[in-house]
Amino acid sequence: MEVTAVGGVDLAVRPGSVVVLMGPSGSGKTTLLSMLGCLLRPTRGEVRILGRPVVWQEPAVSLVRRRYLGFVFQHYNLLSALTAAENVMVALRFRGVRDEARQARALLERVGLGARWNFLPRDLSGGEKQRVAIARAIAGNPPVILADEPTGNLDSASGRAVTGMLKECAVRDHRAVVIVSHDARIVEFADEVYFLEDGWLRAGPAAPGEARDALALPGSADLAAEKRTSLH
Amino acid sequence: MFFIAWRHLLKERTRLALTLVGVTFAVVLMFFDVGAYLGFVRASSVLIDHANADIWVTRENNRNFDSSRPFPERKLWKVRQVRGVARAEPVAKGWAQMKLNNGSTETVMLVGLDPDAGLGLPWKLGEGALRSLRTDNTIIVDESSLAKLGGVAVGDAVEVVDTTVTVVGICEDVKSFTTYPIIFANYETAKRLSGVYRLSGADQTTFILVSVDPSESVEAVVSRLRAIEGIDVYARDEFSRRTRDYWIVQTGMGVGFGLTALLGFLVGMVIVGQTIYSSTIEHLREYGTLKAIGATGREIVALIAYQAVVYAVLGYLVGVAIAMSARQGYESLGLKLVTTPGMGVGMFVVTVAMCLGASIVSVRRALRVDPALVFRG
Repeated sequence: MEVTAVGGVDLAVRPGSVVVLMGPSGSGKTTLLSMLGCLLRPTRGEVRILGRPVVWQEPAVSLVRRRYLGFVFQHYNLLSALTAAENVMVALRFRGVRDEARQARALLERVGLGARWNFLPRDLSGGEKQRVAIARAIAGNPPVILADEPTGNLDSASGRAVTGMLKECAVRDHRAVVIVSHDARIVEFADEVYFLEDGWLRAGPAAPGEARDALALPGSADLAAEKRTSLH
Repeated sequence: MFFIAWRHLLKERTRLALTLVGVTFAVVLMFFDVGAYLGFVRASSVLIDHANADIWVTRENNRNFDSSRPFPERKLWKVRQVRGVARAEPVAKGWAQMKLNNGSTETVMLVGLDPDAGLGLPWKLGEGALRSLRTDNTIIVDESSLAKLGGVAVGDAVEVVDTTVTVVGICEDVKSFTTYPIIFANYETAKRLSGVYRLSGADQTTFILVSVDPSESVEAVVSRLRAIEGIDVYARDEFSRRTRDYWIVQTGMGVGFGLTALLGFLVGMVIVGQTIYSSTIEHLREYGTLKAIGATGREIVALIAYQAVVYAVLGYLVGVAIAMSARQGYESLGLKLVTTPGMGVGMFVVTVAMCLGASIVSVRRALRVDPALVFRG
């Protein structure tokens, strides 16, 4: 039996903005995020980054992820054998940044973990791990940050701090940030909020920013687009 | 990627230690097996390889050193008349019983030659002088046989087939493949003491060793000598190879050693494979994360391969160190363990191949990881 996980999405995320995708479990949020992150190829439609359609072939798609996308995961997904700084260095190396040790320390300073650069993940709290994950995501300055339930495992104070950092990543560094979350408190940081229901994207009525009408058509997603593009 | 691999290994030190035990065991096993094999192989042709002779002439249909039987000595004169033969000398090989001081007897291989012929046998003397063999009923014994022969020393008189002979020298490195002691005597003494010449007659010899005139090619002289009826003629390397092949192939020894080496290889492969695979499964999510943040398939392969190579290098170094330490004990048993730089390089390549081969399943598993896994709980 064929199941359509995400059926009608036409989404453009502008640099400097935070877009929040909300929806009940099974609504297709993670599937949509996987497609936006070039981890899952859509059966129809396309994903554009900086206006260019993604080529779904290795190693091109790996290079797209490496150059343009930073990820923040609910479960942090830090490499357990590496220190906080080394986790950031891995992303820096992938992105061809030289002097990665110094840069990693600087990024950890930025997220408030300068003193814990040589801590292993097991020695960090959940909030600290997520901050390391944010430092890793912004390492090498990718134009798009994708965050999956970034506050899902955090207490409210840590969750607020992490969300604030993601907002700062968008505004200060002019990045496009997409957050998938169940957490209603995130809405206050969003420029746009979308609800996903049964794979269909609809503009969230509670969005504090510029809400858009959901397009109930199979379509495309354009990340970090200077201008919204409609493809169908 | 190397630093990630290295950190993975250091993080799981117990696993690293257990894997190194496995690789080390495999290396030691293969090292001893191959070293002993080479020792046996070399021993089987040791006299051929050290003699100053370009060509070995034997009785017809005698295909190797150990199964050679006497043939008429008059062939020597025919050989000497062939163009390109600079020198031809007879060598007698036979068997005899030596009576030991404790009353028991030991079978010995007698090699009889003219000590003044410059045949290069024996090639390394620890005590005494080769010219002492000019005197009848004198022998030179190899040091590896001294214990077996009741601790005889230079000057001792021993009984060989009811004849009292005197030990006039101790040579080195003449270790027989069959472990029977090799005794050197002059040509006439050896024939007189050997049972085979008592039966076949004194006008027989076992080998004719030929040196070729420098202006001639060995192949050309071999070809001319083959025109003489009743003998077989071999260039030294061919005769050496035939003798080795006889022991390696026809006795099944090669298969036995090969299986043992293969066993060591497989043991190492299974241990390393199991370790790397379990580590890969435990870190599957991390491989997914690496892929999500942009690692290519090649980099994932490199990450696992680095771990395999580290296991191989460390296991090899520890294994070789243990094998070299244990070597003296092995050789004190009267066995020869041959180690050469080429063997060291070969063993290292085999060890790396073993560990890399063991990681193939893990590599396939890691490459199949869906990077979207990182979004699942």
